[in-house]
Amino acid sequence: MSAMATKVEPVTLPHPRALRVPRSAKFLRDVMSVLEMKLLLMRRGWYWFLLSSLVFPVGMFYWFGGVASDDPAAVRRVMVGAMVFAVSMGTIGTLAQQMIQDRFQGRWKLLITMPVSKVAYSAGVLAFATLLSAGTVAVLLGFAWVADVELNVSWVFFPVTAAAVLSMAGLPLLIVSSAPSAEAGSVMTNLVGILPVMISPVFFTMDQAPKGLELLGWVSPVRYAADGLSKSLSGQTDVWTEFGVLAGFALVTIALGLWKLRWREA
Amino acid sequence: MSVDAVSAAGIVTGPDAVPLVVEDLRKQYGKGIWANQGISFSAHPGEVLGILGPNGAGKTTLVRQITTEVLPTSGQVRVLGHDAVREPTAVKSLLGVVPQEALLFEYLTVHQHLRIFGKLRGLRPKDAGPRADELIEELRLHEHRDVVVDKLSGRLRRRVLIGIAALARPPIMVLDEPTTGLDPQSRREIWALLQRYRDGGATVLLTTHYMEEAEALCDRVGIIQRGRLLALDTVPNLRASYGYEFKATYTLNGHSETHALYGADDKELVERVQGLGATQYSVARTTLEDVYLELTGGADERDGDEG
Repeated sequence: MSAMATKVEPVTLPHPRALRVPRSAKFLRDVMSVLEMKLLLMRRGWYWFLLSSLVFPVGMFYWFGGVASDDPAAVRRVMVGAMVFAVSMGTIGTLAQQMIQDRFQGRWKLLITMPVSKVAYSAGVLAFATLLSAGTVAVLLGFAWVADVELNVSWVFFPVTAAAVLSMAGLPLLIVSSAPSAEAGSVMTNLVGILPVMISPVFFTMDQAPKGLELLGWVSPVRYAADGLSKSLSGQTDVWTEFGVLAGFALVTIALGLWKLRWREA
Repeated sequence: MSVDAVSAAGIVTGPDAVPLVVEDLRKQYGKGIWANQGISFSAHPGEVLGILGPNGAGKTTLVRQITTEVLPTSGQVRVLGHDAVREPTAVKSLLGVVPQEALLFEYLTVHQHLRIFGKLRGLRPKDAGPRADELIEELRLHEHRDVVVDKLSGRLRRRVLIGIAALARPPIMVLDEPTTGLDPQSRREIWALLQRYRDGGATVLLTTHYMEEAEALCDRVGIIQRGRLLALDTVPNLRASYGYEFKATYTLNGHSETHALYGADDKELVERVQGLGATQYSVARTTLEDVYLELTGGADERDGDEG
């Protein structure tokens, strides 16, 4: 018997509603749906998220605070370092962990059969990581007030924080698309999320950095995030260099990350 | 798909209404194994089409190309006129898919899964909740509505996956080994569900390696081996077209080994067996399993998870 295609008479079939939804509306709905999924995860164990995103930054604040001078500017810089560390943990750590779990625990198999683009999925997870980072930074601001750190918050604090989050958002996309296993992805996440903050001029300024780290500081986005936040928390608004570098880094890494992210197998 | 093919009422008509057309589909992984080699078939509206094959025959690769997850090396897949390579989102909008080994989000409840995935499938937010409740009734999951799926049995989770596939009432359902690992009762529950979707007008494509599933559930069965579609027809036609409508099982005098002979006529088979000198024999209608084993040689293709 031949297995050739059989001619089938035309019939009528229902047309799914999805094809008639405007693309922009569908995209927004997808982003919100992915965000809702992740928020429901957080609702189940929000205290773990809070603990993991606060314990280390606060610990780092006291650790570096112990070796820094009592000068208010130095204390403020250490507080800024703790914030950058929190943003890095919240953005790179959370984003990468969530996507790695989705990929290696079989949930992607379900998601990629939906009429959902990888951009919408990534944007949904990024929105979750951004909310988490913003919440952590807000709590750290409260903590700084309790710890009597001298802060003079200017309006540019919010756009610089957003740019800092976005500058780190592309890296998890690159991690999840290149990790051969969940374990390897976890190690890569820790390396990319923690190491740059520890060795870049983040808890200290470029002037205080040893020669080797000073060189790293010129190319490390976390240093620009720290400089921008430091200025914005001392009442300055002249952060355009930092903002520009962070925005540029965000554009390049997110574009590269989305391009590398495999939603279909070749 | 041409614009004329979709009416204002959202009805697809004309040649584009053929649910699924697969043409000369080939897939090679890297420069190595050919998982699919020139597969062609069409799925009829309102039928259950089963793809039967041993492990490693290329069933999962075939399904993943239809669901747009894997790009073909060559050939074409069209779903209601939409090309799976060029229009993946449109194709995915038309399919309800139960992937093999897909996992649910363990922290979401049954209702949350169905409601959120309903929105991802394209339902409006205000429709997604009621549709989720409707499916919970249909799948008899009402006792577990607000239970996180982590606490559900494998059988109930499989029902949730089928519910997710059925959310937008897709014209085509694609299921990759939907009953593997389930007990016979659960398997029959899923058969009944799929028959109901078929009776409601949906085309159901499923892969399986259970003979009784293909025989009981499928209107037509395709047998695949080494990436090639060896046969595709109804079970009675498969038996008849290969001349294997009857099977004689016999032992020769002085030997304990059992032999089998196939033929289109039972009387002729008896004469042939007697002519061989057999004194103990039985003749029965061939089953799908007989045809399958004869076509495939009865052995698994290769180790590995590629079905």
